[in-house]
Amino acid sequence: MDHVTLDVESRKTDTGVTVLAPVGRLDVVGAPALKEAVSEAVKDGQPRLIIDLEGVSFVDSSGLGSVVAALKQVRSSKGDLRLAAPNQQVRVVLELTTLDRVFPYYATVEEALTDF
Amino acid sequence: MTRLQSGLDTLHESVELARRHAGAGPTHELALIQFELALAEIGTNVLLYALPEDSIEPRVDFELKLEAETLTALLTDWGPPLHNQLTQAMPGLSSEDGRGLAIARKVLDELGYEREGEVNTWRLVKRL
Repeated sequence: MDHVTLDVESRKTDTGVTVLAPVGRLDVVGAPALKEAVSEAVKDGQPRLIIDLEGVSFVDSSGLGSVVAALKQVRSSKGDLRLAAPNQQVRVVLELTTLDRVFPYYATVEEALTDF
Repeated sequence: MTRLQSGLDTLHESVELARRHAGAGPTHELALIQFELALAEIGTNVLLYALPEDSIEPRVDFELKLEAETLTALLTDWGPPLHNQLTQAMPGLSSEDGRGLAIARKVLDELGYEREGEVNTWRLVKRL
């Protein structure tokens, strides 16, 4: 079995928002684990999803692709997605691909939960 | 652990070593972040296409130099040619893939690719 480079923890808040917290490198090896967790999270109803990036040390184009895929999945179920707590590396990648225009990101999960 | 994962681990560890030698400072850190990203993108391509999991004697040579505030990485492999992907533009915002080489081109000072006989060599240069 392949060693897993990305663990994804999932929890639901009192207000029904799902928070996914990947830990590790969100890259070509880790991205499938996030995709799986998102598919699970959007199964029921209109998903409101936060991806808590605090534990993500590094993201590459494959990792970004999994976040774009997550947004499409969530929006096709008439839900929404927010990103929280990206580190400097993740912010650099979002900005240079201009995906920061697509993804509103918040400094903390608590901020992302406001009015969500 | 797959060859892809262990190969990527090696690339990330080499940048960490360079980070320790390059000294602190926000300018250096941004350049190192950009270089590590480009190296991971090119490295992923090399490891995925030049180093199939079932190949018998897989080999990718990797060299990283930090000289006079400039990082230079050389990746050499014996896989199929990849130059048809070199000019790939940054895809649209809704695209889920195809950003790797465009990112590398954007953040590096030089990105070179040569095919000589059966050998591919990638050269990545970033000034700190």
